[in-house]
Amino acid sequence: MSLFDYDTRPATPGVVLVDTGTSPEAYRIRDFLSRNGHHFEWVDVADANRLRSVLGDTDIDLSSLPICILPDGTRLSPATLEQVAAGLGMVTGPARSAYDLTIVGAGPAGLAAAVYAASEGLHTLVLEAIAPGGQAGTTSMIENYLGFPNGISGSELATRAVAQARRFGAEILLARSLTGVSAEGPGYRAALSDGSSVVGRTMLLASGVEWRRLDVPGVDELLGAGVYYGAGPSEALGCAGSQVLIVGGGNSAGQAAVRFSRYAHRVTLLVRGANLASSMSKYLVDVISGIANIEVRTHTQVVELRAEDRLREVLVRSLTTQDTSSLRADALFICIGGEPRTDAVADAGLMIDSAGYVQTGGELGTLVELDESWNLPRPPLPLETNLPGLFAAGDVRRGSTKRCAAAVGEGSMSVALVHQRLSEIGSE
Amino acid sequence: MPTGITEQAVTEFSRLSSMERLNSVALALTRNGFQAQAVETGAEARQIVAALLPEGAEVFNNTSRTLESIGVADDIERSGHYEPLRLRLFQMDREMQAREMRVLAASPEYVVGSVHAVTEDGSLLIASASGSQLGPLVSGAAHVILVIGGQKVVTDLDAGIRRIYEYSLQLEDQRAREAYGMPSGVNNILIMNKVVVPDRVWAILVHETLGF
Repeated sequence: MSLFDYDTRPATPGVVLVDTGTSPEAYRIRDFLSRNGHHFEWVDVADANRLRSVLGDTDIDLSSLPICILPDGTRLSPATLEQVAAGLGMVTGPARSAYDLTIVGAGPAGLAAAVYAASEGLHTLVLEAIAPGGQAGTTSMIENYLGFPNGISGSELATRAVAQARRFGAEILLARSLTGVSAEGPGYRAALSDGSSVVGRTMLLASGVEWRRLDVPGVDELLGAGVYYGAGPSEALGCAGSQVLIVGGGNSAGQAAVRFSRYAHRVTLLVRGANLASSMSKYLVDVISGIANIEVRTHTQVVELRAEDRLREVLVRSLTTQDTSSLRADALFICIGGEPRTDAVADAGLMIDSAGYVQTGGELGTLVELDESWNLPRPPLPLETNLPGLFAAGDVRRGSTKRCAAAVGEGSMSVALVHQRLSEIGSE
Repeated sequence: MPTGITEQAVTEFSRLSSMERLNSVALALTRNGFQAQAVETGAEARQIVAALLPEGAEVFNNTSRTLESIGVADDIERSGHYEPLRLRLFQMDREMQAREMRVLAASPEYVVGSVHAVTEDGSLLIASASGSQLGPLVSGAAHVILVIGGQKVVTDLDAGIRRIYEYSLQLEDQRAREAYGMPSGVNNILIMNKVVVPDRVWAILVHETLGF
C-alpha cells in the first residue's frame, strides 16, 4: 500500500459504480470520471460481499446494470454517463448568452487559447464533450514538454491549465458537445448537445482528433469489455498481473506501453511498421527498450479478436511471413492515430481536406480562389478558416504538428488573431 | 472505548475545558505567533474556516475526525468552492505520477487539519503514522488552519505527549484498523511552539468535544 492510499483517501463518500466490467456504458462512465479526476469505487457484480455492503441484500437484475450510487445516495439504474455527470453537478449552463470567443475543445490548444483570451479580458467559453486534456490528457508522462525536466503527465498538465484558465475567468463547460454551428451576425452560434446554444463573436475550433477505428471484426462489440481506444487511465489498475496488447507505433502507443508495464504481467506492442524509430520519439523508444516486460512485435497486424464474455485472444499476422499466431489477451488498447473531429461543423461550410482536416490561412488560396463564404477584402488570417472569425488550432487543423507544445502554441497564437477580428467587427 | 485506553487516561484527556480556559489558551497561542480564536460550537468553527478559504483555493484537508464531524471535510471535498487536493491526489497514478504526487502533497496552498494536544502556554502537538501531513504544517503549505476540540488542552508538553500515546493513539489505532485494515502508530510527532511567518497558522479552539 502506498503512503497516498490512506493519506489521500477521500474523507467523504464518492461515487460507487456496480457492473460486470464488460459493459460499454460502464466503461464510458469510468473513463469520464477518471479523466475528470472524480474519484469512484468500482464494484464487480461478482464480488458478493462488497455488493452486499453497498446495495444490501437485494437481487441484482443484470439488465439494471450499470448501477451508479452518487455521493448524496441517489441510485441510477441503469446509469448513463449523462445522468452521472448531471447528478454530480458537472453539467452547468453558460453564465452569459454571448461571448467574445467560444472555444470548442479543452485539449492543449483550446486550454492555451482560453488562458490567453481570458487573461486579456475576453469573455471566453470553452465547450468540452468529455474531459479536459484532449488526447494529451490521457498521456501517462510527457517527458519533452518545455519547462518540466522530470516530465509531467497529461492529466496533470490539463488540471493545471484548467485551474489557470478558470482563475482568469474563462468558463469551461464539461459533458457538453457541439452539435452544429451557424452564422449569427459577424459571429457564430454554437448548438450544444443538451439543446441549448450560445453565441460567440469569434470561434476557435480546437476539437482535436478521435482515435482512428481499428477495422477488425468484433472490435465494436468488445468495446469496454477488454477492448479500448486510447490508454484510458481508468483501466491501469485493473490490468494488474494481466496480458496487455497495444496496437500502434506512435508516441501514444509507446506511452501506453510504459504505463501498463507498471501494472501488467506483460505488455506486447503490435506495430505494423519495421521499427519504432520511424514513428516514435527516441526517448520513448529508449525507455521501452529498457523495460523487461514490454515486447515489441513489428510487421504485425491484428486480424481477429476472440472472446467469451470479454476479450480472451487476439489473432495477429506477420506482414513478412503472412503467418498467423494467437496471443492471449486480457486487454487490447488501440492507439493507431487520430481522425479529425469535425462532425459538428460539417454543415457550416468549412473547407476541409480529403482527410477531414480543417484548412486555414494561406492554404485556402488567394482572395480570387475563395468562394462566396469569404466576403472580406482581406485574405484569411493564419489559423482562420474560410469562415471569417472562425479559427482552427491544434490537431484538427490541416498541417498542424501533432505535438502538445505545438497545439499550445497555436492556441496561444490564435488569441492575437481573435483580437484582430474583434477589432475588425467592432461593436457589430 | 478501545481496550488499550485506561480510565485514568479517559478522565485526564477527554474532559472538555471551560470557555475561560480556551480563551486563555487562544491568548497564549497568539503570543506565540498563531492567529487564534475560541468559539462555542463546531458550526462557528466551520463558518470561520469557510471565511478563511478563498473561492477556488487549492486545499488539502488532513485526515481528521474533527473536520469530518463538523462538516468541514464535506465543504472542502464536495462544495465545489475549492480545488480539493485530496481528491486530486487520490485519482492520480501511483506509479507514473508518484513524483507529481509528492510535490503536490508537500506544498498545498491551504492545509486544514487538527492537532492532538494544545498546551496551556500555546504549543501544538500533532502525531502522525506516515508523517506526510507534517511537512505542509511546518512550512510546505502557504496557509494552515487547525480546528481543535476543547478536550485537547493539556497543562504542558509532557502531558501532551502522554495524551498522544495514552489516549489519541488508542482511538486512532482502532479507526485505522477499521478503515485501512492496519494499525496506527506514533511514528512522528510535530511540536509547534512558535510561528515566525505572521498570519500563516490559524488555530480555532472549539468548546465541544471533537476528534481524538
